[in-house]
Amino acid sequence: MAKNRKNQAAAIRFGPALKALFLCLVIAGSAVGYVWQKSQVYQLGKQIRETELRLVQLERNNQMLGDQLADLRSPVKLDQRARGLGLMPAQPGQVVRLSETPFTPSEKSIYARQFAARPTGVSP
Amino acid sequence: MIKREQQFKRALALLALVVLAFAGLGFRLMDLQVWRHDELARLAEKKTQQTSWRLAKRGDILDVNGNLLATSVSVKLVCADPSMIGGQQAVVAHALAPWLRMSEADLQQRLIPRIQKNSRGETITNGLHYVRLQKNVPEETWQQIQATMSQLKFGVDEKKLTKADRAFLRNLRLYAISAEPDQLRVYPNGPLAAHVLGFVGMLENTNHTSEVFGYDGIEKFFDDKLRGASGWRVSGMDSRKNELVTQRDENVKAQSGLNVVLTIDAAVQHILETTLTNAMTRHAPQSITGIVMRPRTGEILALASLPGFDPNDLRTINTNTGPDRVISDVMEPGSTFKTIVISGALNEHIISLNDTVFCENGLFHYAGITLHDSEGHHFGDLTVQQVLQKSSNIGASKIGIRLQAPKLYEYMTGFGLGAFTGIPLPHEVSAKNFVRPADKWGKYSIAQIPMGQGVAVTRLQMAMVMGAIANGGVLMRPMLVKELDDANGNVVQRYEPQSVRRVVTEATARDMVAALKTVVSKDGTAALAAITNYVVAGKTGTAQKVVDGKYANDRFVVSFLGFFPADNPQLCISVVMDSPKEGGHAFGGALCGPIFSEIGKRCASYLNIPPDLVPPPAGTPDVVASAQLPNNLPLR
Repeated sequence: MAKNRKNQAAAIRFGPALKALFLCLVIAGSAVGYVWQKSQVYQLGKQIRETELRLVQLERNNQMLGDQLADLRSPVKLDQRARGLGLMPAQPGQVVRLSETPFTPSEKSIYARQFAARPTGVSP
Repeated sequence: MIKREQQFKRALALLALVVLAFAGLGFRLMDLQVWRHDELARLAEKKTQQTSWRLAKRGDILDVNGNLLATSVSVKLVCADPSMIGGQQAVVAHALAPWLRMSEADLQQRLIPRIQKNSRGETITNGLHYVRLQKNVPEETWQQIQATMSQLKFGVDEKKLTKADRAFLRNLRLYAISAEPDQLRVYPNGPLAAHVLGFVGMLENTNHTSEVFGYDGIEKFFDDKLRGASGWRVSGMDSRKNELVTQRDENVKAQSGLNVVLTIDAAVQHILETTLTNAMTRHAPQSITGIVMRPRTGEILALASLPGFDPNDLRTINTNTGPDRVISDVMEPGSTFKTIVISGALNEHIISLNDTVFCENGLFHYAGITLHDSEGHHFGDLTVQQVLQKSSNIGASKIGIRLQAPKLYEYMTGFGLGAFTGIPLPHEVSAKNFVRPADKWGKYSIAQIPMGQGVAVTRLQMAMVMGAIANGGVLMRPMLVKELDDANGNVVQRYEPQSVRRVVTEATARDMVAALKTVVSKDGTAALAAITNYVVAGKTGTAQKVVDGKYANDRFVVSFLGFFPADNPQLCISVVMDSPKEGGHAFGGALCGPIFSEIGKRCASYLNIPPDLVPPPAGTPDVVASAQLPNNLPLR
């Protein structure tokens, strides 16, 4: 009887200990998980903030480069630079205007050109 | 027994103490959580939350080809918290003065906390925690300022300082100097198209940032479109005042303003302004204005008024630069007005181009006044075409008399005189008071008005009249804005050319073009307005200015309005000069003709306008070129 009681008692002590350990692990795990999650949220928030700042910086750089490009393409500045290089608009005497008369080739010249363009030895 | 009684009393006392303590805590809890809840909640929120404003970027103003005419750049408004600087003003001022472009002494003064008394004798601590140091500080400079502040040396071994002193220096470096986002309006081309673009003013917001608002020109007219809408962000902060992204309550993005795309072509505007500037140097007029537009659509490619100003530097604005003269000044048009009279008479079939008008050999007495043709000219019989070509005042008056006052008034208003043109610019005047109805004219008005006296117009109104003739008789509304785009370049609103009304028939307009072509010939008043390889049509104007209620003999407003190629008009150009130094010897054809020619030649080359005159073989004298001989003295 005593032996049996002893054996039973030992079984009871081991079970609750395991349960308590498990419970402790769950609570501790949850606590660590919670802290880890909080830390992750904070870290991600920080990353978002840094990314946003980087985005603002990039947008600003983009704007600055756009402004520089606009400045370089400005007709006023181009004119000033061209004049600085000694260039100036063409004078009327320097411009040769060609009158465009419609080209109407004669029938003979069309055939002559077609035959001239065809490689020898190749049938149509 | 006594012992037990004592124990009970002690327990009771202890219990009473505990109850009292809990009651005290409860009271404090009620005080903090209930009675002072709102006040403390606000305080806590203030300490842990921040509201940051996100400025909306003001829209850009672009020319028709996308060239930037006005833009906004991000800058910083640098501020200081003098209460955090303690007695280190000299060190901070020495380090920052070069970056802020301020004198060290001035900066040091500003960094001293000010506790003053106001007019009512009350003590105010304005500037104790916040003082503005410099506006419009570029981003790069602000980064340099931050770097300078973080490495600031105070000439002491900080390891030997107390913890509190070290914290003070750390806070000084990190938080004593701060910056707020701001914007600066920039006009990359300086004075180019300044009167069209206008300029902006600044208003201080409640959140200490500047609010930009349009003060003149397109900046004012389209202010509500350019402005955009500010955003804001409410979020939590950590102890180092860094934003905690996870604690963002509100996050409203700023909405950029719309970009305004003009019909102005920066290159044409540059051509116009440089040519007018040269003319300004040559003739020293009080002012000179120019308009370049497409007559078929009413699109204005360039619009200039000199003296101008640089919108980047508002100190260059003065009474001479004034608002845009093209739309806000009224003047007597002089002989350019004959275009309206003769168009009306042709349209009513009262005359034809080949009809003869006797010009009274230069002196015409009518209703008690004597009209003259321009100095030295005693015209006899002239055809209607010659009346325009030689700009005979008497011929125009006689045609006006035949047309009669009501009809003349009808054509004047038909061509848009006395009414707003509808150009999207502020300060436009209609000159309605100077275009009186026919029943209010004097007895000799019908003889005087046809020669361009006794009536006043704006320069733009007259340019639109010439544009209507070039456009086959249809008056167009001047078009200055092509479209409104969003920040990504998507078109939000597109503006199309608008015709106001048909004023004269196409046949009349054709006749007028034929007559106006002869003005720019060797026998016309504007031989110097000719452009090689192009047929030009136009009209000169030389109007006496009224000084002290009388027409002055030495002050004139001279002008030339024309278009080319005459039979397929691509450009209509107006040049008006007020009081050139030539005084009584100033003539529209002689002074404004060459300016028109120079502008036309350069614009034609830039816009690649096909010529309508076949160049003569080498060695043959050019018909148009012969009109430029120095012996061809221009007439008024």
